[in-house]
Amino acid sequence: MTDFVHATTDDSTLVRIRGLTTVLNGKPIFDGLDMDIPRGKVTAIMGASGTGKTTLLKHITGQMRGDAGEILVNGQNVATLSRDQLFTLREGIGYLFQNSALLTDYDVFENVAFPLRQHTKLPEVLIRNLVILKLQAVGLRGAASLMPGELSGGMARRVALARAIVFDPMLILYDEPFVGLDPVALNQVLKLIRTLNQTLGITSVLVAHELEAVKQVADHVFLIANGKVVAQGDPRTIAEDGSPWTRQFFGGEADGPVPFQYPAGDLGKALGFAGLAK
Amino acid sequence: MKPRTGIGGNLIVQSLAQIGSGGLFLLTLLAAIPRSLRYFRETLRQLWFVGAMSLTIIMVCGLFVGMVLMLQLYHVLSIFGGTSASGMVVALSVYRELGPVVTALLFAGRAGTSITAEIGLMRATDQIDAMEMMAVDPIAYVATPRFLAGLIAMPLLTCVFCAMAIFGGHLVGVTWLGIDNGTFWSNMTAVVDLRTDIVNGVLFKSLAFGTVVSLIAVYQGFATPPTSEGVAYATTRTVVASSIAILAIDFVLTAFLM
Repeated sequence: MTDFVHATTDDSTLVRIRGLTTVLNGKPIFDGLDMDIPRGKVTAIMGASGTGKTTLLKHITGQMRGDAGEILVNGQNVATLSRDQLFTLREGIGYLFQNSALLTDYDVFENVAFPLRQHTKLPEVLIRNLVILKLQAVGLRGAASLMPGELSGGMARRVALARAIVFDPMLILYDEPFVGLDPVALNQVLKLIRTLNQTLGITSVLVAHELEAVKQVADHVFLIANGKVVAQGDPRTIAEDGSPWTRQFFGGEADGPVPFQYPAGDLGKALGFAGLAK
Repeated sequence: MKPRTGIGGNLIVQSLAQIGSGGLFLLTLLAAIPRSLRYFRETLRQLWFVGAMSLTIIMVCGLFVGMVLMLQLYHVLSIFGGTSASGMVVALSVYRELGPVVTALLFAGRAGTSITAEIGLMRATDQIDAMEMMAVDPIAYVATPRFLAGLIAMPLLTCVFCAMAIFGGHLVGVTWLGIDNGTFWSNMTAVVDLRTDIVNGVLFKSLAFGTVVSLIAVYQGFATPPTSEGVAYATTRTVVASSIAILAIDFVLTAFLM
């Protein structure tokens, strides 16, 4: 079991991860990962596909649990929370899924109203006003009566964002929010992330591959590989730190510390020529 | 060292694992019933979806089953000069066997598959995970209302099926083939027993079938791999497993209730 220093949070850190170790289906995903996510800032988590970025978000929300290590969210150890405590914690966390995950049976209005209806007994007029304000914030008040199937990808993501902020959460997790967006929609989402962070003071964590977009919105970036943080810093300068990891990832090199070939046995044996590899 | 099992052995092990997993899922559903009571509107919505929306197929099929049953019986019984007993035999066949069994098979094909496909697609599109993230328990909000709706709808649909089958039998026997109307009804009411035929035959069996079909449909939806192929296989498994379970349970219940 990995040794780690027990995590504690102070006022400046909302999420603190210490010694996170996770093995899935025999494959190590995290190997003693440490990370501090500052309160009130936009933090980006980057890394090659399959390095466990989305899995890390699921650990933070308690959807998955690691084999070792600690994750403290606002001072609470996620792994030790009961289901009810976890649900209470999640009421303070917004999560933007990569494919928006809107409820397809409900229209835009009802999707945004859904958490309010489930967790509050607010009068209908108040729910209506809150939903309209959130939709106005993401620029989709006029789309309230549309069904999810009638929305473009960018619109669906903005509706999901309105739903994620309906409780004014302390933390929003964005899972690849820029994927598949045209330049206009991309800039709209970027503007929303920055605006929500600045006006509401919401701590934002986003998983992304697009460095140019991350540079515009993030205050801090973590690059993860091999189950650990291999680089971190200001998104505008991290690409220049000279490490082989950053050079390969931000330079888009096909081969490097992240190998081109997925681990496999001897090629000669696979082709039936036992001596070929020699 | 891996245990040596053939294809048959693997199939048995997999089937037993599925049954065990389904049993645990049933306990989870039952435990979630108190929590799901706050989603009563969702249960009513599902009752409309799986019950009321299944009425057309149940009524039409019930009508034709009754009509064809009367036609067959009339021709067989006419050989022995016993056509006056046709209505009675139609009623006993429908109440004891055809009503609950055919309704359950139709329900599995119409509502069971749609429940599985709906939940499977909700999983594939992260809607279930989204509910978890919004601190809404998907078992209480998605699974239990659908399970309860199936449980409530099945006896009601079976009653409708039986009524339509009797009506179909009357239509063919009395209106078309000329059996005396009074004989048709008096023979039927003289023989049909409330406890044996209605309570045990219709209500008890349909409740058992409703439990099994709803459980299989909801379980397959939650257990399906979140892919389009996974959803397709899961809906097929719902029909196959439900059909086998209905007929097997029917035999067991008939043996005990006769």
